[in-house]
Amino acid sequence: MSGTTTGEKVTFTLNGRQVTAEPGETVLSVARRLDVHIPTLCFHESVSSYGACRLCLVEVFWGKRSKLVTSCLYIPYPDDRIETDNARIHGVRKLVLELLLARSPHVEAIRELAREYCVEVPRFRPSAVTADATRCVLCDLCVRVCAEVVGQSAIGYAGRGSERVITVPFGEQAEECIGCGACVFICPTQALSYEDIAGQRLMKELNTSVPLVACRVCGEHFATEKQLAKLRERITMPDELVDVCPRCRGTEFTRVLDEALVTKPRV
Amino acid sequence: MITSPEQLAEYRAKCRSAQTLLRPRLLVGMATCGLASGAAKVFAALREEAALRGVDIDIVATGCKGACFLEPLIDAVIPGKARVTYAGVTVEDVPDLLDAVLAGAVYAKRALARETAECLLIEDCAEPYPADANLEGVPAYDAVPFFHGQLHLAMRNCGYLDPTSIDEYIARGGYAAAARALTTMTPEQIIEAIKTSGLRGRGGGGFPTGRKWESCRKAHGTPKYVVCNADEGDPGAYMDRSILESDPHSVLEGMIIGSFAVGANQGFIYVREEYPLAVERLRHAITQAEELGLLGTNIFDTGHDFTLRINRGAGAFVCGESTALMASLEGRVGEPRAKYIHTVESGLWGKPSCLNNVETWNNVPVVIQRGAEWFAGIGTEGSKGTKVFSLVGKVRHVGLVEVPMGMTLRAVIEGIGGGVPEGRQLKAIQTGGPSGGCIPAEYLDSPVDFESLSSLGSMMGSGGVIVMDDRTCMVDVARYFLAFLKDESCGKCVPCREGTGRMLDILTAICEGRGEPGDIEILRDLATVMSEASLCGLGTSAANPVLTTLQYFADEYQAHIADHTCPAKVCRALLRYSILTEACTGCAACAKVCPVNAISGERKSPHVIDETACIKCGQCYEICRFSAIEVA
Repeated sequence: MSGTTTGEKVTFTLNGRQVTAEPGETVLSVARRLDVHIPTLCFHESVSSYGACRLCLVEVFWGKRSKLVTSCLYIPYPDDRIETDNARIHGVRKLVLELLLARSPHVEAIRELAREYCVEVPRFRPSAVTADATRCVLCDLCVRVCAEVVGQSAIGYAGRGSERVITVPFGEQAEECIGCGACVFICPTQALSYEDIAGQRLMKELNTSVPLVACRVCGEHFATEKQLAKLRERITMPDELVDVCPRCRGTEFTRVLDEALVTKPRV
Repeated sequence: MITSPEQLAEYRAKCRSAQTLLRPRLLVGMATCGLASGAAKVFAALREEAALRGVDIDIVATGCKGACFLEPLIDAVIPGKARVTYAGVTVEDVPDLLDAVLAGAVYAKRALARETAECLLIEDCAEPYPADANLEGVPAYDAVPFFHGQLHLAMRNCGYLDPTSIDEYIARGGYAAAARALTTMTPEQIIEAIKTSGLRGRGGGGFPTGRKWESCRKAHGTPKYVVCNADEGDPGAYMDRSILESDPHSVLEGMIIGSFAVGANQGFIYVREEYPLAVERLRHAITQAEELGLLGTNIFDTGHDFTLRINRGAGAFVCGESTALMASLEGRVGEPRAKYIHTVESGLWGKPSCLNNVETWNNVPVVIQRGAEWFAGIGTEGSKGTKVFSLVGKVRHVGLVEVPMGMTLRAVIEGIGGGVPEGRQLKAIQTGGPSGGCIPAEYLDSPVDFESLSSLGSMMGSGGVIVMDDRTCMVDVARYFLAFLKDESCGKCVPCREGTGRMLDILTAICEGRGEPGDIEILRDLATVMSEASLCGLGTSAANPVLTTLQYFADEYQAHIADHTCPAKVCRALLRYSILTEACTGCAACAKVCPVNAISGERKSPHVIDETACIKCGQCYEICRFSAIEVA
């Protein structure tokens, strides 16, 4: 039975070393804890694992049999013998990177990873069928952060296979998008961006603009209305501090506190 | 309501006596293949003619017997006579056919075969057909090449009953297996029987069904679910559609048995929207089974509850993959996930789920009714029972063929299929759908079973068999399948999404004469990584069409790349049309038909083709009566 169902720690071999995984812990998590390098593109610790980029593949050996598994999802079984880098793994990562580099030649993160695996120029001819020099590698991080962290699920997919793209519903102004920018922050290839202009935050690739709010103290635009509404729902912060920008929040907090002390003196 | 095996037996007796033939009965094959061949018109004409004459005769729509190349098929059952199958019946045949049937005679013009014995799950369900001197000129079923050697277990009722009638299904022994399983066997005994039978998944993977059920039964978590995968999508494969259209209750019965065995109270049938008739028949069948208490609460008074729901797929090939299917069932995007934890432990909504293909579910009542040992006696060591194949392509008899596992490819293609059409040579057999491979003609004596096909680099898959002759270009075939897979890749994982596209680019270039010497190596590299690193079965097997054609037909790739020729003369960009001066009579037929005026010449003197203007449409080749057009 898998370590997932027994709820117990699992001891296995990682690159020849006896290591222990916490109940339900993935190989990638164990490796990161122990400073073993495994490249990833679609993984982020704040969201669930997706297993799409295939860069984190590692090889599991059971006796004479072995298999490549995605370390971001694979929860080790007792006595698994796992290698995180060898000729087979290297070959797979190299070609995956060659495919990614051909898709997104302008993305520095991809170029750097590719260089690490000695891929400079992809061997493929210009394509008639795959997406043309796009920055987006469909890693799904923006989709997951929007759904799992922000709780909005404003971003999803349209199309299938090589036609697949990240989008908001029908590609139009999305009511669900609160303009928080979490997707822009998490995107590993800078495929998403926003710009604050004329009191609006324009989520460029998502074709959506969200009104901005000015700080009650300094007057600078610092967040969107929807973002602040969400904050009010989710965190316990004195109401009068929510529409204050982070820079002014400290002094404003002291002022509010003082006022409170003045109006309600200690007996 | 039927609440016990005894009541079922009583009900069966009632259904049978209602059907005991007092008047002639005509069964018209009206599955999708029959309808496509004009069966609806024949059916309407028969009813109209019968009404006009005011005769007492049953005319009912039935399913498909598998002989799709002979549709429209009509079976005539006359009281006291043997059953006769008529093939290729047209509206014009209707008056004469009706005359013959009403006179108790045979309509010789369209008579195909006579039935001598039927394959039934319960022996006492049919009177043996009487010998009939009138029928001496009509061959017995087994004497017709297409039916010789076939064994219809999965297709046991296809073409024999009205698929909209649960009474007819019960009359032929239907639901008796469910009654036996639920009232006389424990779930463990059922699972043991399925294991002993050696039944393996018919949808493509070939996983042992009994083991799957056992894992699901033992898995922790409730509720549990059973699911029927009816998202058949391989190009050229349509056995599941035919079973659902012709015998929907057999699938329901299998699922009732399975639900009891694994401990599930809810089942789902995931069927593609492109099968409207199958959906209609299933929906109807479920309602009928509910009315009789065969679905619902406390089935056969055992305390077992089971309800079934139909979910229609929106046409994504990848949704035939178990995890993608379950995601789609849940209402999410139909894309697969890693299966490090199997769906029998964590499937639909994270609960233990047992998913089997249509044909697998349909086989379950056979195992229970006839016994596991009997079932295991059919087929080979590792592949038990029969398999339905859809035999299509360059073969004379196109249709659904059900044979014991282990029959040779030769017996299937040359015997049952009648071989390739006159004057052509068999070149390869593609099995297993897009994920399968092309087997060259020299392996024709290989048996058809899970292991043998895998060892040849192909696979059983869902049972598609596409026959290819010498006019088929194997590079073009690989290109075709890659184009299909590239369109059907969900796009989640990099190797499949990007790899299929790149492979298609290369194959297209080779077919268009832009192939380069390094292309084969890139194809092999891509194939390796796609098969090792893709997320689901679609990606891991997507390179198979390329790998098998490279393995067996490397010289064809070489001819395209090095010599810029297509040996099968299929890849248009590589063809050159010219006129043989000595053969040309100057009739100008070619010049007239050429859509781009690329052919010129004086009347009655040899013509010439302007190669720069020629679009290689081949019309001149088709029209020339003097074999003066040369294609190189």
